[in-house]
Amino acid sequence: MSGFRMRRSKSGAISVAIAALGIGLPAFAVADDLPPLMDHDSPVLCARDKEGQLWRIQCNPATKICLYAANNELDESGNRVKSLERARECAMDMAVDREKLEAAGFKMVSGRPDVPFGWTRDERGRVFQVNFDLKRRMYFGAAYTPKKILENPLESSRTSIDFGLLIFHLKSDGETPTVHRFRFVEGQVHLEPFSAELVIAHYDVSRRFLDPLLRITTFVGQPQRHDLKLNLGLWTEAGGLEIHRTSAGYSQLWKHATAQVTLDLWQSPILDSFIRLRTGIGLEGQRDEVNGYRSGLTASSALEMDFVLDPNGFHNFRLELAHEVPRYFVPVNSTSNYSQRLRAKVQYEAIVLAINDQPLTLKLAAGGEKRDDIPGVPHQWAFVMDAGLRFSLWAPPRPRS
Amino acid sequence: MGTATPALLIPALVSSLVATLAMITPARAEPCTGSTGGGGRFATCFDLGNRLSVTAGSDGVGGAIALRHVIGFDDEPDLVWKLEHVVADATHGSWQERFSGALYRGRFLRHTRHGHIVLPLGTPRKVFLPFDIGGLVEAGTVRWAGNGDAAQTLRIGVVKTAALFDFARTRSFQRRFAIGPVARWDVDVDRGTGSLGAVDEHAVSLFSTVMADLHLASKTGVLSANVRIEAGTVWHSDTGWVPEAVAEASVERIVLAVNDRPIALVLGLKYETATEEAIARVGARVVLFHRTDARVNLRPLRTAVR
Repeated sequence: MSGFRMRRSKSGAISVAIAALGIGLPAFAVADDLPPLMDHDSPVLCARDKEGQLWRIQCNPATKICLYAANNELDESGNRVKSLERARECAMDMAVDREKLEAAGFKMVSGRPDVPFGWTRDERGRVFQVNFDLKRRMYFGAAYTPKKILENPLESSRTSIDFGLLIFHLKSDGETPTVHRFRFVEGQVHLEPFSAELVIAHYDVSRRFLDPLLRITTFVGQPQRHDLKLNLGLWTEAGGLEIHRTSAGYSQLWKHATAQVTLDLWQSPILDSFIRLRTGIGLEGQRDEVNGYRSGLTASSALEMDFVLDPNGFHNFRLELAHEVPRYFVPVNSTSNYSQRLRAKVQYEAIVLAINDQPLTLKLAAGGEKRDDIPGVPHQWAFVMDAGLRFSLWAPPRPRS
Repeated sequence: MGTATPALLIPALVSSLVATLAMITPARAEPCTGSTGGGGRFATCFDLGNRLSVTAGSDGVGGAIALRHVIGFDDEPDLVWKLEHVVADATHGSWQERFSGALYRGRFLRHTRHGHIVLPLGTPRKVFLPFDIGGLVEAGTVRWAGNGDAAQTLRIGVVKTAALFDFARTRSFQRRFAIGPVARWDVDVDRGTGSLGAVDEHAVSLFSTVMADLHLASKTGVLSANVRIEAGTVWHSDTGWVPEAVAEASVERIVLAVNDRPIALVLGLKYETATEEAIARVGARVVLFHRTDARVNLRPLRTAVR
């Protein structure tokens, strides 16, 4: 293959040189053997061949490889059909001298045009998203929920829907990185037997403090400093509602407002995953068809884990163990002012495909509950599992770590 | 006093002419701006999606705040998100015991020139689709019909959501033909007790109903029409699964504008199998505040300086 030259001027010599480059349309690789991608963060040069077609070229001095690709999306036959999406601007007024490059040890390799972080291209240059932030989305889904109560394993099966109308987080970097998490109108509704949960507004904040709260210095042997970092935060919810239907009728639990202090036991570097303890107090009102309406203050505590298991956000895991103790302002059934609620939830969610870059996820969840505040519900553990699909809107690429 | 030579006069004349022309607004036709004989201008196109309007009609008096906007992307010019919001949409039947309202209603459509599915397993693959996708969200709807009975039921729509597949695939808001499954949760509350805590019944659609949503509007926005059909089965906590259908059509025709704020004639028809009720309505919609259509130029005509 003879050498070529690309010059700033549009001289015929340049065209001839480019044609001599032998840049033809790359033979389409099989899907599992795609050409390498150009780096979106490095400069890309553009040059025309003698037919006036524009090519993108990116050379890496470290690897001595120059990638080249058409500056257009291609159709099935390899014809250029439209402009590239999400490709960086290429510099047109730069000289590219292939002979010099090859003399300097560079190798010309067919590649794919660059894409931003979180996106990729197929062999035709078509862009699509491959990294999703499920903590920024609107979602709705349906699930199948067979229920098993220990006393009656043949309890009827049921189905459910779940939804989250707006979920997002805001992260501020710096010496003390902070994540503010917001969730609005999130909940689920189960059929047969009917139950529903809804939270109108949720806000929590996690922070990684730079300075330790306590510095302990030990003087046994060589003096040593031990830092005790307490990454404290806040967890709040307003407008919570639980509805249960039992043999004693409907029970509605209105969780007007709850505020808790959080202690992050572990945080991932970008604060998207954590293990934390939280404890606090809330104001609630409960109405059922046996006791009527009663209100009270609820002390609550929980252990919470939230993990994004892979860099592309495809696998997500959550666990919550919660204990709530409502103290009613008047005794219930003239016996006690207190009730107990214990709850355990575990959930795994994985992206199975994306429609127009909007992910469809598989959700597997299991939960257990033991409570004595609802007439008609036996004071024993009841377990439930469900499996379903969720469709999410928005879900942009995750922040680059 | 010297005399100007022709060689000097010509450039001076040219500059003068250019300056004069620059001070005259060209009298080119602007498709969305009308002009009177006296040079006054008025809007002939209207933005139906950004306004605060009041409607009075046979079904009562009400109002709504509508907002819509498009989010575009510099690095992907073929992609836009079309977002439509309606806030505090309420109608009170002044001469009937009726009320209906919605705290928030939103429709979000992602339009791209090439729709696709990505199969991310193994090496990601892209399969192309002939529709845009999006979602519909309603939260906090309330409906009450007294019918003169002592037992009155308030239906609270806690949440309603739908996945939308828009086959019209337009970049604008002018056309929409979206189909999709609907999930919703409604609560019937016995209003006769005067307490919102007394729940009569829950009704849940578990993506078991399908919605077809058609919207057409003229380029000027003077005429617009909507058709919505929902049909499927809905689970009721008392009666189990029940087939239900709702069909609704409406037409809005702007007939005049006061200070460029439109007043429209509204016609509508709605039928529900749940209530076995067909309601026709006719009314007038007055826009109190709105965003002037971007194609309208209401700046006064300039006159030539002599």
